[in-house]
Amino acid sequence: MSSSISISLGPRQPLPEPATEPRFSAEAIAELEEIATHYPERKAACLPGLWIAQREYGGFLPPAAIHEVADRLGLSFSEVEGVATFYTMYNLRPRGRHHLEICTCLTCAVLGAYDIVHKLEHELGVSVGQTTADGEFTLGEAECLNFCGAATVAQVGDHYFTNLTADNVMNLIDELRKSEGYTPTKLADAIVKIHIPGSSKTGGGSRSAQQLEDPAGPML
Amino acid sequence: MGILNLLFANRSVPGINNLDVYLNNNGYKGLKRALAMEPQAVIEDVKLAGLRGRGGAGVPTGGLKWNGMPKNADKPHYIICNADEGEPGTFKDRELMLKTAFSVIEGMTIAGYATYSSVGYIYIRGEYVEPAWQIRKAIDQAYAQGYLGKNILGTGFNYDLYIHLGAGSYECGEESALMSSLMGERGNPRLKFPHAPFPVVSGLWGLPTLVNNVETYAAATWILANGGEEYAKYGTEKSKGTKIMSVSGHVAKPANYEVEMGTPLLELIELAGGVVNGRLKAVIPGGSSVPILPADKLEKVTLDYEGCGANGTLLGSGGFMVFNDLTDIVLLMKRTSEFYMHESCGKCTPCREGTRWLYKILDRITSGGGQPGDIDMLLDVCSQIDGRSYCGLGDAACWPIVAAIKSFRPEFEYWIANKRSPLGDRSVPPTPHVLNPLLSLTAA
Repeated sequence: MSSSISISLGPRQPLPEPATEPRFSAEAIAELEEIATHYPERKAACLPGLWIAQREYGGFLPPAAIHEVADRLGLSFSEVEGVATFYTMYNLRPRGRHHLEICTCLTCAVLGAYDIVHKLEHELGVSVGQTTADGEFTLGEAECLNFCGAATVAQVGDHYFTNLTADNVMNLIDELRKSEGYTPTKLADAIVKIHIPGSSKTGGGSRSAQQLEDPAGPML
Repeated sequence: MGILNLLFANRSVPGINNLDVYLNNNGYKGLKRALAMEPQAVIEDVKLAGLRGRGGAGVPTGGLKWNGMPKNADKPHYIICNADEGEPGTFKDRELMLKTAFSVIEGMTIAGYATYSSVGYIYIRGEYVEPAWQIRKAIDQAYAQGYLGKNILGTGFNYDLYIHLGAGSYECGEESALMSSLMGERGNPRLKFPHAPFPVVSGLWGLPTLVNNVETYAAATWILANGGEEYAKYGTEKSKGTKIMSVSGHVAKPANYEVEMGTPLLELIELAGGVVNGRLKAVIPGGSSVPILPADKLEKVTLDYEGCGANGTLLGSGGFMVFNDLTDIVLLMKRTSEFYMHESCGKCTPCREGTRWLYKILDRITSGGGQPGDIDMLLDVCSQIDGRSYCGLGDAACWPIVAAIKSFRPEFEYWIANKRSPLGDRSVPPTPHVLNPLLSLTAA
């Protein structure tokens, strides 16, 4: 393997070695195989496959994860890497336990989103894009989350938190500190489960089947 | 004119996302009626209704899309529901899926029957986990009770419906990029007709594919349940039925409002409780991609495709954003240009480079580095982007800026001359905290 080939995954890294140990559990393999039957070509399972990998690898996609998806789907590393680097929700680097994605797009921007971001930068002691030293929070800005009627909106894991202001956002931070849910791994799990027929019986991510009974959120 | 809840009729019925409740509220009446007709008769009913695509382009649904699919099952056909709602300001598909999930699925099933398709995919953006769970629940129940799968309702019609989630990409709401993404690729678009075939001729894996928006399928359900003629009683001559407008911004009651096509724009603002914290300054009626209109140009605008088109804007997706007079239009446009720069897929040079240039110039202007000639440079860059790429994202990045300069040029000139907002510290969005005077030393 030539070490003169570089791969654009952020800072320059050596060509990754093949994964020594695949990490997909038996359940994950079964999920991938089920999803692959939904399409006439196995390649189409690339996006769901990366979601499974993101869950199995603890909320992000190291080169080993991309290798494993490529191996299991019969694709090349570069093809899968190309997909992983295109979509914003695939994490190429680890995130904190809660990834705070505050929308700062049009409506949210005129309704105080930037005040919220600045407040969080001040209170958490990080800039946008950074993770707190205790690994608890990664602060981020999001492009439009498309729930503008409830501005300002933040996505944390598999949930939209709504009607946020600079005055009430620290309440959200306190709740998240105490919560087991809304993590990058749970987000990936929810997304994987949604692909699987019958999964509404058991739920997934941060939600039980019981919690799917009635749609959450304000009556907008 | 005004509020007319056709698609939203049952959204507040408790448990409407449970199949038994849905059936008790005219659920699957449309599919049952469709299955008793010939496929072409279903298409004729949708044509009679005058339904036009509700994603933003307003393409005649029955006449051009459904009717364009081959009228046999020689090859596999695919139905796609574009649930990648990404147009800033729009949140109607979210509510339709969250609260009336079955109406979307039923519409996709009707479309499948009418176009000899046996597989459907609903492509939901990855951020929409809550609505996607409701769709999952609805599909599971439909399979369990024979409304999906093999031999639906004993008619011999087979139809499978799969959910495919995105992973964060506005471009994947563009139908050809969506198909790329569904096939497991980066979300790059493909050439359009006449340089390439329409999706109804060759789409997913080179096979006939019907792509429609969530609201379009929900409308199809209503049409088949009640009759195309009923639907055509509402709206204007060329824009039939209703449009769900997602109202947000400086209004008292931001929400989704389903209004009859042709409703006056100012009436919608009143329905949403009127402007708050200031006086009305501007409206973007159809999502961030459509031209912004100043307050003094709103009186004659009606909410239908022709009504908006005749007044210098577009109905688009119906993402209706209202701005009061604390809003700094230049800062708003800077954030808008940042959105398009981030979301450009990068395939085509005019869009990839042009969206970045627009953002850099606006960032420089709003950081105190504006120079004479910047407005002309913005307009020049816009003209070099418009119509020159494989898809409309670049065009969508230019139209707001051209419109903003046309209607609010003095604000741009003020920023350049005075290196601050004409609204001072009170502006929304706020002036960036860090001004970088060095930026004025470098060319854009």
